[in-house]
Amino acid sequence: MLFSWSYFLEAFPKVLKGLPTTLGLTVIAAVFSLLLGTVLALLNYYKVPVAVQILKVWSSFIRGTPNVTQIFFFYYGLARISTLVLNMSPVVATGVVMSLSMSAFMAESIRGALMSVDEGQREAALSLGMTNFQLTTRIVIPQAVRVALPTLFNDMINLFKMSSLAFTIGIRDVMGNARIESAASFRFFETYAIVMIIYWIFSLLMGMVQKRLEEKSNAIYSSSTVTKDNKGLLNKKLQKEKN
Amino acid sequence: MVDVKNLSKTFDGTTEVLKEINLHVDKHDVVAILGPSGTGKSTLLRCLNYLCEPTTGVIRVGDVTVDAQNHTKQQVRDLRKQSAMVFQGYNLFKNKTALGNVMEALITVQGKGREEAEDIAIAQLKKVGMLDRKDFYPAKMSGGQQQRVAIARALAVNPNVLLFDEPTSALDPELVGEVLNTIRQLAEEQTSTMILVTHEIHFARNVANRIIFMEGGYIAADGTPQEIIDDPENPRLRQFLNLVGK
Repeated sequence: MLFSWSYFLEAFPKVLKGLPTTLGLTVIAAVFSLLLGTVLALLNYYKVPVAVQILKVWSSFIRGTPNVTQIFFFYYGLARISTLVLNMSPVVATGVVMSLSMSAFMAESIRGALMSVDEGQREAALSLGMTNFQLTTRIVIPQAVRVALPTLFNDMINLFKMSSLAFTIGIRDVMGNARIESAASFRFFETYAIVMIIYWIFSLLMGMVQKRLEEKSNAIYSSSTVTKDNKGLLNKKLQKEKN
Repeated sequence: MVDVKNLSKTFDGTTEVLKEINLHVDKHDVVAILGPSGTGKSTLLRCLNYLCEPTTGVIRVGDVTVDAQNHTKQQVRDLRKQSAMVFQGYNLFKNKTALGNVMEALITVQGKGREEAEDIAIAQLKKVGMLDRKDFYPAKMSGGQQQRVAIARALAVNPNVLLFDEPTSALDPELVGEVLNTIRQLAEEQTSTMILVTHEIHFARNVANRIIFMEGGYIAADGTPQEIIDDPENPRLRQFLNLVGK
């Protein structure tokens, strides 16, 4: 038989054992790339002289090179000149490369979102005497987050898939486990079907969360409902007026 | 209340938009600035709160003086606190409700507590007839409603001078009235100094006690509504009034 269901069921849990590694890498890289991406985007938004050029070069470099090459260059290449990289475990090294790589994409997403807050609102805030910091934290970022959310979630789904490259430097993630299993059994069809299914299911789940978040954040600006934090105050006020 | 001395503004080093403007506005004056497009009306108004930085000249609003060639960020911020602006495009903060928009500067700039800020905001929204929309986000309001909230936001900070930059130009014709009525009511109360750039000649005629006609970066005529609109001497002014169909 071409496709063995019994092998499929037998190998599934073995491959699935790599999932915590895959998810762990994704989450950690997501956090660090988001932080780095935000910093890069803000530096760019405020047109900090050197930072603008750095982001440009960084972004074109990352987009113009394959992720596998980035991992190999970092893990094997830089190890020749840096003891820090040499002593790094493969998991950490992959996490670092994933974070650096995705930060370039996220910086672009965040920059676009920051730019989407129109000049008029900035002028209104400044004309009232607000500082640049107040303007950024209270007006620009809250709106930018909502715009950036869908693209950032896409970036995270990409990050999740990118983590499968970790097997190339010997990590036993979902992909790594599948390689080991299939090399022993020669059942490539079943094993990689398992890998495909696991990635697909998680991408679908993340996509669903993304959709929910998007709907929720779109609803906020257009709804007329009282927000939680001023509800109490308003009720008190109304009570006062009645008395 | 407002003093402008030798104010010039040059864009890109070549285009001179304002040429040595001198202007004095008394307390409680309601000044309307008229003129053809591109003659520097809005630029002059926006220089008064440094949204547009003048090339040379000295501006005093209230008790804050800023010299274009020698000033600090803090001075600019102090100058801005003397006035409040109502924009052509309303420019409400989209992530805040009507109430939140009016409260924002009271909290961040004036350091008031939430309760106090809310009391003031509610009073101002009531004044412009928008209290029933206080929990609406800008996206759920009409242009006229947004502009009235923007007026409440400007009033709330209790500015020495209110600046209106073509406040009805972006509105649908049927919504212009409600905004003009709100501004008229403010002018009649005579509690704050107002400077408005507008294309509504009749409105300016009725509301302002002084009208300035700008032409090519200069103040070409300056006087009472009677002098400027009913009995214009300046030939360019006459031509302009004929064109806009006075």
